[in-house]
Amino acid sequence: MRTVQVSRRVDPHLPIDRYDPEAELMLLHFGPQHPSTHGVFRMDLTLDGEIIVKAVPHVGFLHRAVEKLCESLAYVQITPIVDKNDYVAPMTNEQALNMVFEKALNLEVPRRARWMRTLFAELQRIASHLLWLGTFALDLGGALGGGSTVFIHCFRERELILDLFEEVSGARFHYNTHTIGGNRHDLPAGWSAKVHAAMDIIDRRIGEYERMTLENRIFLARTRGVGVLDAELALELGVTGPILRACGVDHDLRRDAPFHAYDEVAVKVVTGTGGDCLARAQVRLGEVRESVRLVREMVDNVPAGPINSGKPIKVPVQTKIPPGQVYVAIETPRGELGSYLISDGSHLPYRLKLRPPSLHALSALPYILPGATVSDAVAILGSLDPIMGEVDR
Amino acid sequence: MSSFVHGGLYGAVIVTVLMTVTAFSLWFERKLAARMQTRLGPTMVGPSGLLQPIADVLKLLQKEDIIPAKADSALFNLAPPVAVVCAIAVAAAVPFSPTVVAADLDVGVVYVLALGALTVLPVFTAGWASNNKLALLGGMRAVAQSISYGVPLLLAAMVPVILAGSLRIGTIVRVQSEHHWFVVWPFFLGLPAAVIFLLAMLAESNRIPFDIPEAESELVAGVTTEYTGMKFALFYMAEYVHTLVASAVAAALFLGGWDGGPLGPGLHWMVAKTLLLFAAVYWIRWSLLRFRSDQLMRLCWRTLVPASVVLVGATGAWVVFVG
Amino acid sequence: MGYLTDSLRALRVTLANMLRPAATVEFPDVIRPRAERYRSSFALLHDADGDEACIGCLQCERICPSQVISIKFGGKRESPITGKKRGYADDFVLDMSACIFCELCVQVCPTDAIVMTREPEVPTYAREDLVLTMAKLYANEKSKARAWGDATKLMGMQEPPRPPKPAPAAAPPAAPAAPAPPAPVPPGAPGEGAGG
Repeated sequence: MRTVQVSRRVDPHLPIDRYDPEAELMLLHFGPQHPSTHGVFRMDLTLDGEIIVKAVPHVGFLHRAVEKLCESLAYVQITPIVDKNDYVAPMTNEQALNMVFEKALNLEVPRRARWMRTLFAELQRIASHLLWLGTFALDLGGALGGGSTVFIHCFRERELILDLFEEVSGARFHYNTHTIGGNRHDLPAGWSAKVHAAMDIIDRRIGEYERMTLENRIFLARTRGVGVLDAELALELGVTGPILRACGVDHDLRRDAPFHAYDEVAVKVVTGTGGDCLARAQVRLGEVRESVRLVREMVDNVPAGPINSGKPIKVPVQTKIPPGQVYVAIETPRGELGSYLISDGSHLPYRLKLRPPSLHALSALPYILPGATVSDAVAILGSLDPIMGEVDR
Repeated sequence: MSSFVHGGLYGAVIVTVLMTVTAFSLWFERKLAARMQTRLGPTMVGPSGLLQPIADVLKLLQKEDIIPAKADSALFNLAPPVAVVCAIAVAAAVPFSPTVVAADLDVGVVYVLALGALTVLPVFTAGWASNNKLALLGGMRAVAQSISYGVPLLLAAMVPVILAGSLRIGTIVRVQSEHHWFVVWPFFLGLPAAVIFLLAMLAESNRIPFDIPEAESELVAGVTTEYTGMKFALFYMAEYVHTLVASAVAAALFLGGWDGGPLGPGLHWMVAKTLLLFAAVYWIRWSLLRFRSDQLMRLCWRTLVPASVVLVGATGAWVVFVG
Repeated sequence: MGYLTDSLRALRVTLANMLRPAATVEFPDVIRPRAERYRSSFALLHDADGDEACIGCLQCERICPSQVISIKFGGKRESPITGKKRGYADDFVLDMSACIFCELCVQVCPTDAIVMTREPEVPTYAREDLVLTMAKLYANEKSKARAWGDATKLMGMQEPPRPPKPAPAAAPPAAPAAPAPPAPVPPGAPGEGAGG
């Protein structure tokens, strides 16, 4: 078995007494109750004054045994459960799950459903990045201050997208609009006009957000050169998504391993240089612009046709997946979300494993936090955009 | 009447008015912040939410008073009232109108700045006595910040002192009412000094973009993490009072205080200018992100201090050569 | 200096936002109108004859991922309205406190008996009010506006098209040589053309 050599730049497992014995080090528990840890997450920081010397992240506070629960649920019942993993981008969660079932059953998803899934994924990307920008500004600027202004503005625009999803599926947050073989809800009449209206508003407001964040010296001072993650370490740790692209690696599953309808549209992959918090912020805002462009291009041209190639599920035991193993990866707003299914031929999965992108992002923390201050730790954690629901499942 | 009686009487009136205005500045800030975020702000309690501060005070009064087990309870309990006292006591030397002033001291400017700098003590005491590492971090940052920003604060305040030739705030306002407000003429001295004074004042009262000591996204609630109920309310109130009084001081030193130009002097001008500066402080607070600790210090020592030293020298030269 | 100009630009953004109308909807005095398909609460329906539509088949109970539905099957008996023998549900309890609003129960109902309502739920003060008993579910049929989707419509949206019948050797001149028509949609459903 090949062992992976992890870079030895900073050794997170170094015992604390091997550090400079003259320094008086302080142990600070950052979380799990903390306004900035993006969910229940704990970091044990060893501080020398304000500089972090060692950081140990602890996850698992939000573990709900989702994967074990799915072993007792029929395939059609899994979709609404798995919505709750990455609760900020539920559309892509559902899509990853249903793609792995479709691949196991060799079902071909009709073209209209693939276009609809692409649209939903791109809209979800915009919504997720808007939420990220709001919470990142909250981390940097405070709940009683400029950060909360950016936060409320971003959420105001995110509501537009949630309204669009409400029109299609009936739910604003956990949709259950995908099923094995396609989608469950078709686009209602007049939806594309509403999409265009929402995209126009969001397009105009991105400039405002940039003026308050990306082009603001204070933001730049807080994020430039902070939390530099170099490409080699990122690749070793399995970091994907905007974080990897901010390190300069040009890798995007939408273009390199197309799924849904991404082989019919050209996705411009946004990369950054430097791998610091600023590059990640720029990549994400660039992705929002690119997603707006894609949505505008695609929403009027959704092909007509059926939205499901399998029969609608009437009975939970109806779907039996032949024995075997299948892996499918999809590009979520956070990176590569993988679903791995081992089935034994019955109507229940034998094992369902999810590969969350945020877990790999968090695994970079022990390497990039040492040397930063406590304020930087907050900024770095925010820029990695972890969602504890998918980290802990 | 004797200065004691005069001071006591006017002082009581000023303190009462100040506390009332503080309570309603709470409402004002929340409405302002809400409007900036296209929200509505408080609407339920009273007409347009005007009774919200009373509701807040009642809520804080009925909260349980928790003192952490290993905290230094004497210091823990002492810090909030001292903070409020330091903040209110500054208002004694500020002339709100030609006649309304509690104690127009000869060394008014020094008194104001000294008491303003004293507010760092209760902040650090709270951080230390809480037996909480987050609070301690906040307290240490507050000390560093307050001490550092005291320098440009003082130097910028020297500009109107030199231009007016007196440390008595009443005289400074009178000179401005006879000639020009210092931000108007000499604007190349008054305006930069006013900007530096405003920035330093923001830093002294821990307002964004300089509010790293109470950065609640990093340090939960910073210095006030372990405080509950009325003690937290006192810290909160001390912050507001400090901002309000510092705005009054800035209005007196740079914007001409109770002078209304051709429209005659009056208390209402002072109030209007104070509230204008107060609104500006909150506008800044709700629009900007915060600086990191070391960037804050770098800004102070590398930019503000040299700028204010140069300004003081230039003001001196101006007064000597131009008069 | 750059800090000052950038700060002024940020201040300008906030000022511009101050002049915009508030985006707040003052719940509960003002209720934001929900979309047609909004999934909120549940209702049990009577069918066209006036009889209870629910036949007690237990499909919704089986498919619910959170197992919030409990049905007591009442056996087959004669319907008082049509006279035919059909199944009845003696008791139907839906616990809203654990419901995840996935709409699967609506999708699988063979008689369109259970539907979701689209009025936003008003919070209650007691946990018992969150448990929807059979009486409450039938009361919701009249008292709450229904969401668009019921089983027929949802199945209709998802049904793949039937393959076209092979054309006879001597094709009649009027028969169009078009490919399979799109999925049959029940009348009244929103259109599903290109992009809608």
